[in-house]
Amino acid sequence: MSVEVHSPDIDLECSGLVKRFGDFVAVDDVSFSIPTGAFFSILGPSGCGKTTLLRMIAGFQSPDAGDILIKGNSIVGMPPNRRPVNMIFQHLALFPMMSVAENIAYGLKRRRTSKDKIAEKVAEVLERVALPDTGDKRINQLSGGQMQRIAIARCLVLDPALLLLDEPLGALDLKLREQMKVELKQLQSEIGTTFVYITHDQSEALVMSDHVAVMNEGRFEQVGTPQELYYDPKTRFVAEFVGDSNVWFGRVEAADNHRLKVTTEDGLPFLAVAAEGQSMRAGERAEIFVRPESIQLSHGADRMEGFDNNMTGQVDSLLFNGANSAVLVRDQQTGGKILVALPQTGEFANLLKGQDLHLAWNAEQAKCFPAPAEAKTSGTTS
Amino acid sequence: MKETSRLGLLLLLAPILLWLACLVILPHIDMLIISLRTRVAARVYEPSFNNYIEFFTEPLYWNTFARTAIMSVTATMMTLMIAFPVSFYIAKMLRGRIKNFLFMLCLIPFWVSELVRTFGWMILLRETGVVSNALQWLGLVDGPVEMLYNDAAIMVGLVYTSMLFMVVPLVTVLDSLDDSLIEAGYDLGGNGFTVTREIVIPHAMPGIASGCVVVFMLTLGNYLTPTLLGGKESLWFTEQIYNQFITRFNWELGSAFGFLLLVLSSVIVWLGLRLSGQTLSQAIR
Repeated sequence: MSVEVHSPDIDLECSGLVKRFGDFVAVDDVSFSIPTGAFFSILGPSGCGKTTLLRMIAGFQSPDAGDILIKGNSIVGMPPNRRPVNMIFQHLALFPMMSVAENIAYGLKRRRTSKDKIAEKVAEVLERVALPDTGDKRINQLSGGQMQRIAIARCLVLDPALLLLDEPLGALDLKLREQMKVELKQLQSEIGTTFVYITHDQSEALVMSDHVAVMNEGRFEQVGTPQELYYDPKTRFVAEFVGDSNVWFGRVEAADNHRLKVTTEDGLPFLAVAAEGQSMRAGERAEIFVRPESIQLSHGADRMEGFDNNMTGQVDSLLFNGANSAVLVRDQQTGGKILVALPQTGEFANLLKGQDLHLAWNAEQAKCFPAPAEAKTSGTTS
Repeated sequence: MKETSRLGLLLLLAPILLWLACLVILPHIDMLIISLRTRVAARVYEPSFNNYIEFFTEPLYWNTFARTAIMSVTATMMTLMIAFPVSFYIAKMLRGRIKNFLFMLCLIPFWVSELVRTFGWMILLRETGVVSNALQWLGLVDGPVEMLYNDAAIMVGLVYTSMLFMVVPLVTVLDSLDDSLIEAGYDLGGNGFTVTREIVIPHAMPGIASGCVVVFMLTLGNYLTPTLLGGKESLWFTEQIYNQFITRFNWELGSAFGFLLLVLSSVIVWLGLRLSGQTLSQAIR
């Protein structure tokens, strides 16, 4: 990594971070920087090293190599209680032996803040998380969402430079999780504290974040806005991990700049493009990703002219899920199944099993990556 | 149906009820009756409070009583001080096999009878013992040193004997403390001292209370260790009871002492629980 001048609006900067546990490399040469006030997510499957990375920033683990800078100052070697960083733990780690107010006051007491000032700040922060009357309650009297907000309040009252969140929504039920996602994002934009959020749930990362880093096997695969990750994945891991995709394996028949002619293992001819940053040559094995919502559906063949790829098939099953409904179409030629998102126009509201459908998509919507060595069968991923 | 289930419950409880009735309640009722009478002539008894009056008027009994209480409280506190870091280390710093191994190590001394263990201490501490010889060989002292038959020796023996009964409840309660609570304590600005005081100890309080109750009762009622390590001058209250019953055949006074010991331990345990804000049902959980 090149030497940079630390501009004052970078809150966290990590360079060349490495952490090993024996022979296992948990974090492998990770570098990134987070601007002030950003909501930054690290998204990855479990075991990818994201928790280790967060714990290094919090100070519970020390890196084997690399540096961590907060507002330009290195914090490597500084104990966790001295770092201007606070963490929301996976299970929140609220102190059950204290009341809500005592929980929030804990950090202020450690700073030897005066009693009056503590009472004032606690009331203020409880107001801010919209739980003004809960100060005297015990932790076990709170609901899941309230505990969430108290955990955040306990950190925010200390005005940290950086708030680290370790999958705090994981323990909540679905409805509450959806609600907390929106709440967290709003809270973050109101108070302007930099959030570093780690999760294995792509929708949490995509909905809340300004920037997302996709992490796999200790490395950052790609860092970008949610839109960039979704529409322009730079690696096949990102394409596979973020969002749903139909996947085919095949071989590149001809390449013209980025436009490729590919034949799948089942013998389907596709027109596709090499994904951004990938250059593919004829003869190479390729993995083709097509998003369910980029496939056009039609009852008749007439509207499908002018598309690069056309297919016919029968409805195999309907996957009704409100606005996220999809249909699984069995391809007539090969019997392979293709996931297609149902448009919300109502046109396909009365689809029946076994009905004939025409599918079509353009080459730009079919992104190719070099296929990994081990052979896999085609199908959908999520 | 209801009849049979009640009968079943009664049968299940029968052994423990019999045990309590025959070995605890009956003897205590008998002891209470014996302690409340005085011998006026051979085989002639009269009800009176003389035995209790004698206890409060004779300074030796009274002093021994107070001394036993103070020494037992001290031994309990010392056991807690030593066992707490040990338990914390076993419960929180270690993982897997080494953890079980160290826990087992605490248990191993209890495979040997208390008498043999106490003799072990005597072999170490007596005038011609291991420690004395080692000190002489190192040239640190000129002549043999007697380390037995003093309060320090009693204390060492009592703490050693009680250690397991403190470590087990502490390890159990500390095991149940979520690591992330400790980490959160540090993350929010606490240091080792404040995290221990504000988070670890409040969480461990039930374990501390139950460990202290058990250790205190065992120590207060201990006979072997104070007698062997403290010698004739150890002045332990159980010795007084033994003397009254066995040496002087004064069952009346012995029973009164026994009852007073029961009252003493109950009062101190109650006080300790009140001070630490615990209840007995929490402590013995």
